Amino acid sequence: MSSNDGDMDDGTHRGVSKLLARAAAADVRADRRLAVAVDDFFLPDESRLDERLRSALGGTLSALVAAVESAVRRHAARLLATRGVPELSIELETGDPVFSRLASAGLLRDVELMRELVGRARQDVLAEALPVDAPEDPDRASLLARLIQHPDSVVAAAAMALLAAESRRRGESEGLPTRTDLPAELHHRLVWWVAAALRERFVALADETPNGALPALDRALVEAATRSVSAHDEGDRLEAAAMRLAAALDARADELPPLLVEAIADRRPALFAALIAHALGVDHGDAREILLDPAADRLWLVLRALEVDRASIARIGLALSEADPRRDLDSFAEGLDDIAATPATDARAALAPLLLHPDYRAAMVALGRGGRA
Amino acid sequence: MNVTDPMLPPVRGLIDREGRLVEADKRLHDLNARAGGGVGQPIAIPQIATLTRLAQRLGILVSRGVVAADGDDDVELWVRAEPGADGVKLMITGWRTRAAWHPEALQGERDGDFLRSAGDWSWETDSALRITFLSINAGAKHGFDSGAMLGQPLTKLFALGEDREGAFPILGGLAMHQRFDDQRATIRATGRPVRLSAAPRTDASGAFAGFVGAVHMIDDEAPEVAPKLNGSGDGVSEAFAARLDHALRTPLGRIIANADSINAQSEGPLRQDYADYAADIASAGRHLMGLVDDLVDLQAIERPDFVVAKEPVDLADVARRAAGLLAVRASEAQVSIDKPAPQEVLPATGEFRRALQVLVNLIGNAVRYSPAEGMVWIRAEREDGIAAIIVADQGKGIAIEDQARIFEKFERVDPREPGGSGLGLYIARRLARAMGGDVTVDSAPGQGARFVFTLPYRE
Repeated sequence: MSSNDGDMDDGTHRGVSKLLARAAAADVRADRRLAVAVDDFFLPDESRLDERLRSALGGTLSALVAAVESAVRRHAARLLATRGVPELSIELETGDPVFSRLASAGLLRDVELMRELVGRARQDVLAEALPVDAPEDPDRASLLARLIQHPDSVVAAAAMALLAAESRRRGESEGLPTRTDLPAELHHRLVWWVAAALRERFVALADETPNGALPALDRALVEAATRSVSAHDEGDRLEAAAMRLAAALDARADELPPLLVEAIADRRPALFAALIAHALGVDHGDAREILLDPAADRLWLVLRALEVDRASIARIGLALSEADPRRDLDSFAEGLDDIAATPATDARAALAPLLLHPDYRAAMVALGRGGRA
Repeated sequence: MNVTDPMLPPVRGLIDREGRLVEADKRLHDLNARAGGGVGQPIAIPQIATLTRLAQRLGILVSRGVVAADGDDDVELWVRAEPGADGVKLMITGWRTRAAWHPEALQGERDGDFLRSAGDWSWETDSALRITFLSINAGAKHGFDSGAMLGQPLTKLFALGEDREGAFPILGGLAMHQRFDDQRATIRATGRPVRLSAAPRTDASGAFAGFVGAVHMIDDEAPEVAPKLNGSGDGVSEAFAARLDHALRTPLGRIIANADSINAQSEGPLRQDYADYAADIASAGRHLMGLVDDLVDLQAIERPDFVVAKEPVDLADVARRAAGLLAVRASEAQVSIDKPAPQEVLPATGEFRRALQVLVNLIGNAVRYSPAEGMVWIRAEREDGIAAIIVADQGKGIAIEDQARIFEKFERVDPREPGGSGLGLYIARRLARAMGGDVTVDSAPGQGARFVFTLPYRE
């Protein structure tokens, strides 16, 4: 590139060479775009996110990052202001959001984070799509409203906590969430990512920042992040509240089927997942995955393992099929007799791998992901 | 006109294990017969056959809304299919005739969303009116404990008050399972006044499952009506209306024009159902366009400086022109219009354009609610100092208790009827009154409606 000819119009010249360089790169970019389009086109429909889920997921992810970011920023900026580094404080409070940086670094592709968020988004979409089911007696309160009046105060408190958690979770879409509602580990990860991304921006500006400012920034960011981490209580999560209610109810085998049916009729998939998680002894995430899987074979096995009767399975299957067009109602109706005829002991045996230590199972899946030996 | 009261007793039927109709109440029997079936034969309505088979295979009660063809019309049914020892018992309600484009199907789903976005915060209840959802920060913001209100009766959070007519809109909403607005209330914990509105949630068999509602906080300073500042009426600001007008009219015009040309298959042949969809799109577009017109009018007439011209008009002539404008629509609906004779004259004072608008609205309504082969009469009369145009139809009429309601904003003669913004009669009456006249109605159910448009008589 020649820029030594002392041209008066150096700005234009530089502009031209930039344009040329961009044009030269265009081929490569077009090729990459095509590759992505091809990949996208051939994705199997059953694992592809539909548009609704995509937008729900995008909204949740950016809102969570924004919630963490605003808390860390605000607190760190306050610390810096009181510690005599006001320029940094202002800079910190007003800079661009870090979301795109985290995304471009690939951090947000974190499997566990995405598993949680995809599961959550699917669960929300399901809750909204489940058919509304009016009770036979219109004066009978709905499931959670009844449980709040339960004579056992543990059940009543857990039911109330679940209703509150659901209101909070749904309120996310109405405004900026103030909490992430993530499992502790994921929340911690996210907080530190945000802190690191905030720092990075100032390292780039190191020449312009006064001496000693960077260590002050580090200290402030660490303190703000630690504060965010320790303020997070994963027991407040919707999933945790649902698990507490399931544990408080501790339904007997004959009490469980009507509860499961009503949880679906009341459009509370989180509670449904918690009920089967508690009954089976697996964690909520696993139960949720089983519930959300449109090829519902595992769910039928789970229900049979819990000795749920044919009519209840039919009701659950019908509601889930009405909610999710990917589920095949016809083949469900066709196979219902076989499902109902499956002995509980066989179903339990088939599900045994699900009950193994979660880390052990995760390791097996990871091994499988890497390809066969 | 089909009687479409969802409160009518359900229609019953029984289908045996082989899918044959064993017995049916008259309406189901007739519908099935029109579809080519009969007792002892397989049920001829495919959607009901599918539903019956599904209920039988699952062995549980299945409820679903289905749309079945009935001659040239579609009829919307809520079907409950309950399998038993001797076959599947059917219980069918709904029976509403569906137009090619049906705004209410959309409205039902979207009402909640619109309400939520319009309110300051939102709530939901189950069918027993227990609160199942509350905007979680509303409590902190407005001084009550959100968490403690969940699962409680709605009336524990709000003390409900009566409106200016001494009525409780929520009771009407609950009784008729329909949307209500403007339920006055106070938050018990703080005594702050609020306005509640809500849309019902119904299940597949049409049963009430709860409300999705919104709360509008009312400022203490202006408890009754929204303050009218800088000429803005009822929240619809002038700038907003202008923008709405501009931003919607152009794209809507394009949508309608393109949909019409797809429907006309002017670019080549097309599968018939796609061409029909295009007609639906065009008719939905026209509906929206009409709504935009109404909103712009509404904004204009609610301005405090709204004036109409007081010019000499011949009301009989205006009525003939309005009837002429609606001739095409009337003939499509197989309705004839009997308009004043060409030599008839009825001098009055008002604004020609506005008087025409009022009459187009009244006659348009009459055509819409007329049965096929029906007749709409337009008569010009004079009584003392009043010139009156009477528009009468053979529709199903308007119940006495509804006659005041239909002149209110966003109300419709028949809320189940597709089309219309619910602003037409409101605007018509406002215009008539601005010209020193009025629009009134007298009618009884089953006897058709008679609307009277009056203006001052000009000697």
